[in-house]
Amino acid sequence: MLLNKIKSLNYLIIFLFVLLSFIGAAGLYSAADGSYNPWSSKHLIRLFIFLLMAIILSLINLRLIYKHAYSIFILCLLLLFSVELIGEFGKGASRWVRIFGFSIQPSEIIKIGIIISLAKYYNDIRFDNLKRISYILIPLTIIFFPFLLTIIQPDLGTAISIFLLGIIILFSVGVRLWKFILGLFVFLVSLPVLWNFIKPYQRERVISFLNPESDPLGNGYQLIQSKIALGSGSLTGKGFLKGTQSYLEYLPEKQTDFIFTLIGEEFGFIGSIFIISLFFIIISIGFYISIKSNNLFGRILAIGIATNMFIYVVFNISMVTGLMPVVGIPLPLISYGGTVMLSSFISLGILLNIDLNYKIKKISKNA
Amino acid sequence: MFYSEEKQQLTKLNRRMFSLYLLKFSLFSLLGYRLFDIQISQSEKYKTLSKNNQIDLEIILPVRGEIYDTNNILLTTNKRVYDLSLIPEKTISIKDTLDNLSEYIDISFADRLKIIEYSKKIKKFHKIKIAENIDWNILEQIESNKFKLPGIAIDQDYIRVYPKHEHFSHILGYINKPNQKDMSLPFVSKMPNLKIGKSGIESTFNSILIGAPGQREVEVNSNGRLIREISRKESTKGKNINLTIDSRIQEYAFNKLKTYRAGSIVVMNIENGQVICMVSVPTYNSNKIIKKPNKKYWDTLLSNKLSPLTFRSIQGLYSPGSTFKMIVAIAGLKYGLINNESNIFCTGKIEFGDRTYHCWKTKGHGKMNLIDGIKESCDVFFYDLAKKIGIDRISEVALDFGLGTVYDFELKNQNSGIVPSKKWKKEKKGENWYAGETLITGIGQGYILVNPLQLAVMTSIIASNGKNVKPSLIHKENNNFKVNEKYKNEILIVKKAMFKVVNEYKGTAFKSKLANLEFSGKTGTSQVKKISLLERESEDFRKKEIEWKDRDHALFVGYMPSSKPKYSISVVVEHGGSGASTAAPIAKDIFNYIYKLGL
Repeated sequence: MLLNKIKSLNYLIIFLFVLLSFIGAAGLYSAADGSYNPWSSKHLIRLFIFLLMAIILSLINLRLIYKHAYSIFILCLLLLFSVELIGEFGKGASRWVRIFGFSIQPSEIIKIGIIISLAKYYNDIRFDNLKRISYILIPLTIIFFPFLLTIIQPDLGTAISIFLLGIIILFSVGVRLWKFILGLFVFLVSLPVLWNFIKPYQRERVISFLNPESDPLGNGYQLIQSKIALGSGSLTGKGFLKGTQSYLEYLPEKQTDFIFTLIGEEFGFIGSIFIISLFFIIISIGFYISIKSNNLFGRILAIGIATNMFIYVVFNISMVTGLMPVVGIPLPLISYGGTVMLSSFISLGILLNIDLNYKIKKISKNA
Repeated sequence: MFYSEEKQQLTKLNRRMFSLYLLKFSLFSLLGYRLFDIQISQSEKYKTLSKNNQIDLEIILPVRGEIYDTNNILLTTNKRVYDLSLIPEKTISIKDTLDNLSEYIDISFADRLKIIEYSKKIKKFHKIKIAENIDWNILEQIESNKFKLPGIAIDQDYIRVYPKHEHFSHILGYINKPNQKDMSLPFVSKMPNLKIGKSGIESTFNSILIGAPGQREVEVNSNGRLIREISRKESTKGKNINLTIDSRIQEYAFNKLKTYRAGSIVVMNIENGQVICMVSVPTYNSNKIIKKPNKKYWDTLLSNKLSPLTFRSIQGLYSPGSTFKMIVAIAGLKYGLINNESNIFCTGKIEFGDRTYHCWKTKGHGKMNLIDGIKESCDVFFYDLAKKIGIDRISEVALDFGLGTVYDFELKNQNSGIVPSKKWKKEKKGENWYAGETLITGIGQGYILVNPLQLAVMTSIIASNGKNVKPSLIHKENNNFKVNEKYKNEILIVKKAMFKVVNEYKGTAFKSKLANLEFSGKTGTSQVKKISLLERESEDFRKKEIEWKDRDHALFVGYMPSSKPKYSISVVVEHGGSGASTAAPIAKDIFNYIYKLGL
């Protein structure tokens, strides 16, 4: 039984995850000037441990995830809240909390919690009720609290990605379009309030994004340097370990948010297209698993997970190519960072699980 | 019903998913297009930009040369010390690091705030210096607790140390950061961070001691961060300097002098002009001056009434007193106003104009000739002689013997002193010269002022029978001084008298006669400006101090050995009493010490 399950795992997506992680490890090796330390070795160790976890996660009963969806969400929310109380301060924001000796970033983990609980919620309500405005309140609450706790850290990028993730899930489950338009209107009206709410350094980032060349040594500096690195990589790149811009430490946070730049410089346009293609294939497989799934819970879950991955990739690459302000969103599987790696492999586990359990017709409270 | 409802929802979901998929695909295509734009279309532009890694030239500061005495005893060197700095980007939290650091070194809360504020203004990879010259045991603690102090870097540096500061601070001076005025110096403009000599030998020989900077070509990014070193040319250490000072004699003389509050001793080699000892008391500590914070130390130096910063040997101006009598005697002989037979009768005073001029010996010396006049330092004899010579001829001779002159010497801030003349008084005071003033000048009082180095040079010229001796502090190859034949015969007579001062009964320095070594000299006791009755009353509560201040300066000049003079000396003890009782014994001891050293 177990053996059969393991045999019928979706090995393509596992392969893609592992491949991207290895590309990440190679990038980190290069970022450390041709050394496994300090990032690459840890990245590979995490890959190994989290892959095992993902496979274990794929083998448990999908109903178990369904059953504990809200508890998981509450747990994540408490974790996120604890950042306010005992969080570690870094880079002008407190985002980390130490658990069992590991520094983790609850704002990354809660995205999974949001996806699971939204999936459960929309799995449970009757289709008719979807139209009713009162039934939008609980999902909005599920999105709002993590959003609020993240924005006060302050981590603007993650907060926006949480918000978008929620909105896209609401869209995909069929919430009426006019509600989005109303929401957009409310958002635009509250924008000036939001502008006053965010910290001055975040305002500077947005301003610098709008005109990066104005302050080449300040915030716009990262963008310009990133573009120089990518652009000088040209079609085929400068070759592995031959990137100069990245070596020259032009790139701040080259091992995290800007790792794509380094790879793009060393492997050129071919390399960067290869990476975003791999991500697109993973997202497409997510869609495929979603459609294949016969139960609503699995469908929404798969969509949510694919969307989460999508947001990471689009945010990160838009950031490093100057399409978006630098908001500190890492590139999953490639950037150095334990929490994003963990959440990526939890996502993999859940996707594999849905894939294995596609035949389940219905999951419900009563079952 | 449930089933169909769910199916309905699935259909809805699929429709929405399809549009979502389209959205995602188009966004990914946009990313692909963006990458194409940067990496292919604009690739040339970015390639050019990427080559703009600047190559900077960085100066490697040279290590300053050392200074030794004539026997290669180290007088100043450079000690390796350790400084602490903070690199903001390597900290987790600057505040935490500084808080932890304050367990080991003293940084005030205000300083911590300042550092944090400052760190916001600079590039985060730039170092902020926190503390200099950390003690070894503290450094050890910091080193072993490094894990608690992320971002703290330990840097090596050199500080100048003056191991014999007590005896050499005035001669050596000290170094410091160049100020705005120093910026015009050729070696400073290149290395504005290099400490340079600010006084003494350190200042005079800056160009030799500094050495040559090295340089390295480094690649830096556009932010100024150092990437790698491309080439490196090491700096050249400054040249070492050997002074002519003999630190044994310097130390011996200092210990003799330090029992008094203030004064100077200069010992010169007559043959080559090399100064082998130059002591000024009170002194200061160069090590304390260069070690920051030094404000407190500066304040104590500046508020000290004895002015320890003054290098008395070249800056202190004194009435030469009776040591000036040689000059008057030479002038008198030169202008044929007396010969060694001429006599006068000293009754203890002389009337001139409406004033009475007293001899130090109130009951009088009786019959006096020139040699006895010098030997017993008869004032009346010299009042009379000076009156006959006239001030201008006296001052002419004084200038010939190196008084009133600033020498081309290794120490630049000499005070020239005053050799008065009629012209001088007219120019400086706008008054005519009074004949009475000539009398006072005849015994080295009045306007005439000299510094101790000048006295030593004067004595050297006498001792060498008129060699134009020039003082120096470094070994020069060419030191053949011209012999001035002008005063040859006059000098011989004066030298005979100077011999008797020390070696004959009734000579003023007879008590200082040495059994094993014959030396010659002349005592001097110069009157200090009398304090008026009013002043005396107002400062009555410090009676003792007034008494000290009111005491005469004790002087002695001399040379050894008498037969073949090699070393000359000038001793000045401020408010030391009389030259015979205070200054001559010091000279005797130093000469004896030099003799015992076998120099």
